[in-house]
Amino acid sequence: MGAIEGIITGFQTAFSLQSIFFVMIGVFIGTFIGMLPGLGPISAIAVMIPITFGMDPTVALIMMAGVYYGAIFGGSTSSILLNAPGVSGTVATSFDGYPMAQRGEAGKALAIAAIASFVGGTVSVVLLMLLAPMLASVAISFSPAAYFALMLLGLTAISSLSEGSTVKALISAVAGFMVVTIGIDAQSGTQRFTFGNTNLLDGLDFLVIALGLFALAEVCTLILNRKDKSIQNAHKIGSLKLSKQDWKEMTGPMSRHSIIGFILGVLPGAGATIASFISYITEKRISKNPEEFGKGSVKGLAAPETSNNAATSGAFVPLLSLGIPGSGTTAVLLGAFLVLGVQPGPLLMTDQPEIFWGIIVSMYIGNIFLLILNLPLIPYIAKILMVPRPMLISLVIMFSMIGVYAISFNTFDLYMLLLFGVVGFLMRLFSFPAPPFILAFILGGMLEQSFRQSLTISNGSFSIFFQDPIAVSILAVAALSLFVPLISKLRKGNNNAKKKH
Amino acid sequence: MKKMLLIALFFFSVVLAACGNGNNADESEASDGSWEPEESIEIVAPAGAGGGWDTTARMVAKVLGEEGMIEENIGVVNKTGGGGAVGWSYIANYEGNPYKLFVASPPIILIPLNGQSEYGHEDFTPLANLIADYGAFAVREDAEWDDLNELFEDMKDDPDSVTVVGESAPGSMDHIQFVQIAKAAGVDITKIRYVSAQDGESLTQLLNGSVDVYSTGMAETVEQVKADNIKVLGITAPERLEGEVIEDFPTAIEQGIDETFVNWRGFFGAPGMDEASIAYYEDKFKELSDSEAFAEIRDQFGWDEEYMGHEEYKAFLDEQKEQVQVLLDDLGLNNE
Repeated sequence: MGAIEGIITGFQTAFSLQSIFFVMIGVFIGTFIGMLPGLGPISAIAVMIPITFGMDPTVALIMMAGVYYGAIFGGSTSSILLNAPGVSGTVATSFDGYPMAQRGEAGKALAIAAIASFVGGTVSVVLLMLLAPMLASVAISFSPAAYFALMLLGLTAISSLSEGSTVKALISAVAGFMVVTIGIDAQSGTQRFTFGNTNLLDGLDFLVIALGLFALAEVCTLILNRKDKSIQNAHKIGSLKLSKQDWKEMTGPMSRHSIIGFILGVLPGAGATIASFISYITEKRISKNPEEFGKGSVKGLAAPETSNNAATSGAFVPLLSLGIPGSGTTAVLLGAFLVLGVQPGPLLMTDQPEIFWGIIVSMYIGNIFLLILNLPLIPYIAKILMVPRPMLISLVIMFSMIGVYAISFNTFDLYMLLLFGVVGFLMRLFSFPAPPFILAFILGGMLEQSFRQSLTISNGSFSIFFQDPIAVSILAVAALSLFVPLISKLRKGNNNAKKKH
Repeated sequence: MKKMLLIALFFFSVVLAACGNGNNADESEASDGSWEPEESIEIVAPAGAGGGWDTTARMVAKVLGEEGMIEENIGVVNKTGGGGAVGWSYIANYEGNPYKLFVASPPIILIPLNGQSEYGHEDFTPLANLIADYGAFAVREDAEWDDLNELFEDMKDDPDSVTVVGESAPGSMDHIQFVQIAKAAGVDITKIRYVSAQDGESLTQLLNGSVDVYSTGMAETVEQVKADNIKVLGITAPERLEGEVIEDFPTAIEQGIDETFVNWRGFFGAPGMDEASIAYYEDKFKELSDSEAFAEIRDQFGWDEEYMGHEEYKAFLDEQKEQVQVLLDDLGLNNE
């Protein structure tokens, strides 16, 4: 069967009443789960596996896929309103979304996030539909050396993710690197920084760190500044309407990051979290007003929101066309496929086109539902900010704890959450920026593993990083992005100096 | 406002309820010495949802319940962490409790030997083994080797020329199954280059040519073999298996390498379970293993039937441990 016929089958499957109904249920559950800080698509899909047993596999999978991208869609809400990321893909959303809400523009922030998510989701589904069969080869094109280069490129952003002291940003990043090494080292099997504690063998979950450093630290700051009148604006929701200026600012980032996000999503192991960070820092780099970032910039919000949703669709390329799960969530989704008797892989497209194309086409419907579901709800959801502050603070603490407990139902994680809450608060007190820490934590694990995999493969020769064309080109971009700003700064300095004479 | 409070209270009580599973196992032995459960049974999957342990536990719980083999409720609980160590230390707290079971496979032997868990299989009560799965060694379709002997000959000449990839860390499943077969073929196993890659990257690395050999489970290779992307040089089963595609996989033994590696999967109970409860579960698992419903599930997931009762299972596990110990000693990875 040709691709066109396949796509037609997909449309028939996805537009059946049954499919539409279950897509709706899926994205609704997904948005809801995503909005709760800490609860993510992994637990939601895992809970659904036994429930869907015996259902028509196509419909069940369409629904579970809906939960997955719905959660990323909805995850931005708690990042924006409470600085408590709902899922790991929306941490970068809080960088500009939360300041915007604090400024009294929560409505606008949520609207931007919803629209950016919708655009990212829809554009990437178009790409997915047109290119999925060809993209399978892209998904496997990255060698360990290329992954190392990609992670390195992400890291060059540390300096741009921080304001003030670069030294403090670097210290913060080094701490992030150290924390990510906790647990069993995959390349040697030895334990690092576990202090003999069984609970640390798998390392720390990303959400423990993110909710500690962001949500709990924010709570501490709010309590300390409770008499400060300047944050009273935060009660306001503001208008949902976007001005012409806002639309203009969003167009650029939305079109760029639909593509960047999608490509990073296609690469196994990269995924929505890394995509959202890389998009955020790319947008800041190329922006004419980088100083606005981190203070409620429209672009800074639109970029990661577009990107994380685009990456989510991208992640379906390796999953459906190769049977390779690129992340924890897609691994659970792969498990769901197997339980339902569907084997994703290179033959899925020809053997079961109704499943392959049905899932892809259903994502159009899902994204439209998500937009319809999210936009009108914004004023109601944003009302959470009207809750008196003492109440709101307690809610944030409680939801963070529930979210962390739900990761593996282990009370040890709760102590870690509190510990990182304190660490995050102290970091703020002494003005160490938290984003470099979290960036190093996200990229550090893969950076180290791919570096050591490369060296094992090459028998310890560093030439492996310069033989792979993809790795070389990414390394070149990384070097440029590090040195070009430096040189232009030096030049400016020289010019200024000359003028003075 | 009140609504918020209510929601808050609700979630709080959910968390409390989840924490409050106390230990209140009272013995219920009948006069004839037999035992029947009188409260719900908990099966722990010492890993996250969606993996092999989780699937086995859920499928077994489902069949036992649906077919009415066990009347009491059976709940599956995930205790994630440390490759199983977190779940094992949880079960170890329930000495003598006949209502706490868990699903186990070779990691319960490997992980304690790697020094990553204070509890090993000797600390628990093996009840019954249910299924067996086997490892497969795959290379790219266009690779120069057509069987295991060609691969191992090259590795004997120049061990540095071949890189093996697997999901797990050195000293764990994917690594050990390859090392065990390679050793029997006469390869110097201390020189094998092994890379661990998670999140589906191991298959990616095989397909893009970064590595040469992929050590994994049989089921993971089937789709790629069908699509002519990879070929399986050998599997670790004692004899050929049935089933589409799988039947074409040659065993190591038929290629003259007299060695196997079984990825067995069965059920254990808490430490020090009494004879009556052991007999009860042994019986129920036998009934399960022989049932039509479970045979269907085995087929669906490509598992092989491999029932062993309590005594046989215990002896098998001890033997497995000795075998692995020798390998880990050779590799310098024995940290027990």
